[in-house]
Amino acid sequence: MAGLVKVGFSLARNAIISTSVRSIATTKSLNLKDIRECKEGSTLIVEGVTVPSPRTELLIRAENIPGYEPVVPSSKPPCYMCALGLDVKHTDVLILSQFVRTDGCMLPRRITGLCRRQQKKIGKMVTMAQKAGLMINLTPDNCKKDPRKRREHKKFNTYYDERTIFMKYIPKPLDRFKR
Amino acid sequence: MSAAKRVQQWATFARTWHIFDCKWQDPYESANIIKKYLMGQHKPIYHPLNDCGDVVVCINSREIALRGDEWRKRAYFHHTGYPGGASWTLAWELHNKDPTMIIKKAVYRAMKGNLQRRHTMQRLFIYHEENVPEDIMKNVSSQIRQSRLVPTRLDHIPEEEVKQYPKVMDYPKDYVLK
Repeated sequence: MAGLVKVGFSLARNAIISTSVRSIATTKSLNLKDIRECKEGSTLIVEGVTVPSPRTELLIRAENIPGYEPVVPSSKPPCYMCALGLDVKHTDVLILSQFVRTDGCMLPRRITGLCRRQQKKIGKMVTMAQKAGLMINLTPDNCKKDPRKRREHKKFNTYYDERTIFMKYIPKPLDRFKR
Repeated sequence: MSAAKRVQQWATFARTWHIFDCKWQDPYESANIIKKYLMGQHKPIYHPLNDCGDVVVCINSREIALRGDEWRKRAYFHHTGYPGGASWTLAWELHNKDPTMIIKKAVYRAMKGNLQRRHTMQRLFIYHEENVPEDIMKNVSSQIRQSRLVPTRLDHIPEEEVKQYPKVMDYPKDYVLK
C-alpha cells in the first residue's frame, strides 16, 4: 500500500514540476570528437566532428603480442600498462607524452584507463620529465620554454631516480649491527 | 731489448690523455670513474708508489645533472679561519659562481686524503663548455665512457618520429580532442 502511494506521489510530482533533464541526446555522444570553429561572415559555427582516433593503428597491447600469456588468470585482469610490463623511465618522453594534454598536464584516470598504481607512477614520471625540462614543447603558454631561463636551482640539469616514486612501500634495509 | 719491446715499455709508462663529457652526468658518480684514470688504477701496473696516473680533461661541466632536489639541498662548507667565518653555499649557488667547482670537489673528495692527492688533482683539467684550448686538445687520445645516458628532449625528436612511435594509450570513445 505504502509503495503504491509513493508511486502515485512521484507521478503527481513529475507532472507538476517537469524536469529539463533529457536522457535522449540529439547528437551521438559516444565518439572521439574534434571541435572545430569556423567563422563565416558574422556567424560563428562550432561543430563537433567525429574523427577516428589517430592512435588506433599504432596501438600496442599485451594480448596482441604473440607468445603473451596472462600470468595468473585472476578475477581482475591487469591494466594495459601492467600487462605490458614495460620498464618506463622518466626520460622516455615518447611514451610519457601520450598521457598528457597539450599543456603538459597529466590526463585523469577515467581517460587514461590505467590502474591506480600505474596512474600514480606515470603521473609522477611526467612531473619528473617536466621538471627535468624534457617535454618543454608540452607546457602552458606562459611557461618559460627553455630550462636555462628558469630561476635559481631550476635552471640546472636534474635527473631523478624512479625508485623514489613508491619510496614508502620499499622496506627499510635491516640494520645488521643493531642489538 | 728489441725495438718492439722498447716501444711497449715507452707506451706502458707514457701518460694517456682522456676526455670525459660531463653532460647530464652525476658528478659524484663520475668522480669515482675519473679518479681511477687519474690515479692509474685502470692499469695492471698500478701501485701507489708508481707514478702511472693519466690526465683527464672534463668538458661541459656546466651541464652536469644532480639527482632529485640536490641542487638546493646539498651545501658546500667553507671556513675562513676567523671566528664567525663559516659559510654554507648551496650547490646551485656554487655552480652559478663557478661551473667547474662541483666536479672538482667531487673528484677531490673521491680520492683518499694523502700527500699525493694534490699532485693527482693537477692532472685534472675541467672546462665548463666544449671549447677546449688547442694545446690541451691535441694531446687527447682516449675517451672515458659516460655512466648515465644523456636524455633526449621531446622537441629535439623529429615530429614524424613522434607520430609514428608505437602508442600504448588510446583515447576513450567519448574524448574531445584539444
